[in-house]
Amino acid sequence: MTDTLNKENKLLEVLKEEFKLLSGKVKRSRRVEVVIENEQIIPILLFAKERLNYIHFSHMSCVDWIEEGKFEVIYILWSPEEKINLLIKTKVAREGEDLPNIDFIWRQANTYEREIREMYGLPFDGLVGREEFILEDWDEIPPMRRDFITNEYVSETYFEREGREDAKDVREQILGRTDEKLPDFAKKYSRD
Amino acid sequence: MEDIGYKIFGAFLTTVLAFVVGMFYGGFRRKIIARIQNRVGPPVYQNFLDVMKLLSKKTAVHHGIMQQLAPLWLITMSIVTLMFIPVLKDGLFFTNLNFSGDIIFLLYMMVFGSLGMALGAGQTGNPNSAIGVTRGLIQMVGFEIPWIMALVALMVQYKTTSVTGLLDIQSQSGTWMMFSSPFAFIAALLAMPGMFRYSPFDIVGAPAELASGPVSEFGGKYLSLMMTSGSIFAFVKLTLIVDLFLGGASNLIELVIKTFILYMYPVLWGAISPRFRTEQAVKYFWGWPLFFGVIALAFATF
Amino acid sequence: MAYDNNSQKIVDYIQNFARKHSLFVLAYGTGCGAIEIPPTMTSRYDAERFGIRGAATPRQADVLLITGYLATKTLKRVIRTYEQMQDPKYVIAFGSCTINGGMYWDSYNTINMLDKYIPVDVYINGCMPRPEAVISGFVKLQDEIQAGRADGWKKYQDNLEEYRANQKKIIKNWTMPDFNW
Ligand code: SF4
Repeated sequence: MTDTLNKENKLLEVLKEEFKLLSGKVKRSRRVEVVIENEQIIPILLFAKERLNYIHFSHMSCVDWIEEGKFEVIYILWSPEEKINLLIKTKVAREGEDLPNIDFIWRQANTYEREIREMYGLPFDGLVGREEFILEDWDEIPPMRRDFITNEYVSETYFEREGREDAKDVREQILGRTDEKLPDFAKKYSRD
Repeated sequence: MEDIGYKIFGAFLTTVLAFVVGMFYGGFRRKIIARIQNRVGPPVYQNFLDVMKLLSKKTAVHHGIMQQLAPLWLITMSIVTLMFIPVLKDGLFFTNLNFSGDIIFLLYMMVFGSLGMALGAGQTGNPNSAIGVTRGLIQMVGFEIPWIMALVALMVQYKTTSVTGLLDIQSQSGTWMMFSSPFAFIAALLAMPGMFRYSPFDIVGAPAELASGPVSEFGGKYLSLMMTSGSIFAFVKLTLIVDLFLGGASNLIELVIKTFILYMYPVLWGAISPRFRTEQAVKYFWGWPLFFGVIALAFATF
Repeated sequence: MAYDNNSQKIVDYIQNFARKHSLFVLAYGTGCGAIEIPPTMTSRYDAERFGIRGAATPRQADVLLITGYLATKTLKRVIRTYEQMQDPKYVIAFGSCTINGGMYWDSYNTINMLDKYIPVDVYINGCMPRPEAVISGFVKLQDEIQAGRADGWKKYQDNLEEYRANQKKIIKNWTMPDFNW
């Protein structure tokens, strides 16, 4: 098992040597995940691109950890030679902090950053582009934040057709007709 | 006096005939294309239903007087052109108004409608219309040149500019012009699909590309007028070519058979071909059709 | 011509017959349903048998197909398209998304009931309706037209204010020109 993860471990070692504050692990073959402070984001991306040849910027996404008061931003890189997905994670406070803009490294990052800025309200330092990107005339709090209560917004804004208020678990209704029981393993997906 | 009565009645009859035949040809075209694509297809009278439906529309928005006039212009052009074409060789009703010199007049008349349409489409302000109009005019420049060359070759060769005159020559000599001046016929035949604007040459109204081009802002009764005029004009073009090259027709059945066979040529070609780009179409028209046009002219003069 | 009842009936019958058998369709391909339109139109299911034919622009179209969920952003375009169509016009809505929101019922940017914003003549349920269902929806619309019951466009004219209020509730920045016939 360990020999098959050779190149992944080696990558982790190289990164750890260069960046002292970095922590990370090999998730599985072809996937390495590292966590780093957000001041180090530009150095590590540049290092990965220029020195380690992770030239492909696959994706950039964001998770709202409302309990910690943080956003987690994930940069996903791919190296066509090593064939490894490198996930670089960083955390940033929900309010008052911002991330550096990286669209001078990869032009396409601009699109992702604008999307994250619009959907989460997370500002990027020096990002150029119109505020309004995908949403049109949006004046609520950004919709992908977890303190935006979608249900409430929907019931206020849109109409609901009669007959779907109960939102019952369909399986229970079907089972009720034949007097069967929901098996134990299926219960954890139940709505009640 | 009686003569005028016959003429007016004949004009009316001719228009109705052209409308009905043109509409049915359109229906056959849709049916044939459907069969080629392994479909059942609409009934042959579908085009009548379409026109009726469009006429029964309650509203028809227009953007100004020129747009209102454009369909009228088109249909006027179709009917006037029809009037100057001998639908049958002789007989009371279908010879219509032929004075000598009518081929040149017809050549003018046949582009008149398109120009009116261009003005009308220009007024709608729709960018698709503008693109469609430009393409249409470019395409017209493309096919008009071999087509006019073919007709000029005929006129030079037989020293007459009247359709009736050419018809007479054909019936006297007993051969059709397609055999006695073959190169003109080939040039005209190769240029003909451009006039019909069916598939390889449907660059004007390309539905998926230009949202039907110049027509895109016309709805309701305007569209119905345009469909009507299109059917009449299809009949006009077919009859003209039959008169010029296929010896005309002495009764309606002969006319229908000849025009239908001629009509199948652009239709079947269209059914199996994708669309040309504008410059490809022009390149096509200025290739072989023009070549045969030049040969026909040379053939006629020497 | 005298507009007595019987002659009006005959005229209506003929008009409805023509309208019924010649439906020019403008497919507004939102959502997942756009993929069901090509098989409906082409050789497998051949909707042209019923006189159904694609129209290129709203001015020429009779039927507006809404094929799936509508984001608030696309709703704006749909309203504009609908208003550009010429009367009488019909709307067919596909899929549960247009009926009650479907699986996107709690999304912040898709509407739930289409008939609050534009009048819908026929709903086709399913997620997504297959071409057979689509064709049966068209046949249903034809029956309604023949019976003179497909009058969504009249409803829209009569209740324009109500529809506008609903539309403006969602489209906050209303910049569209007014609808005048
Ligand atoms: S009803 Fe189903 S198939 Fe149709 S748009 Fe909604 S989710 Fe997609």
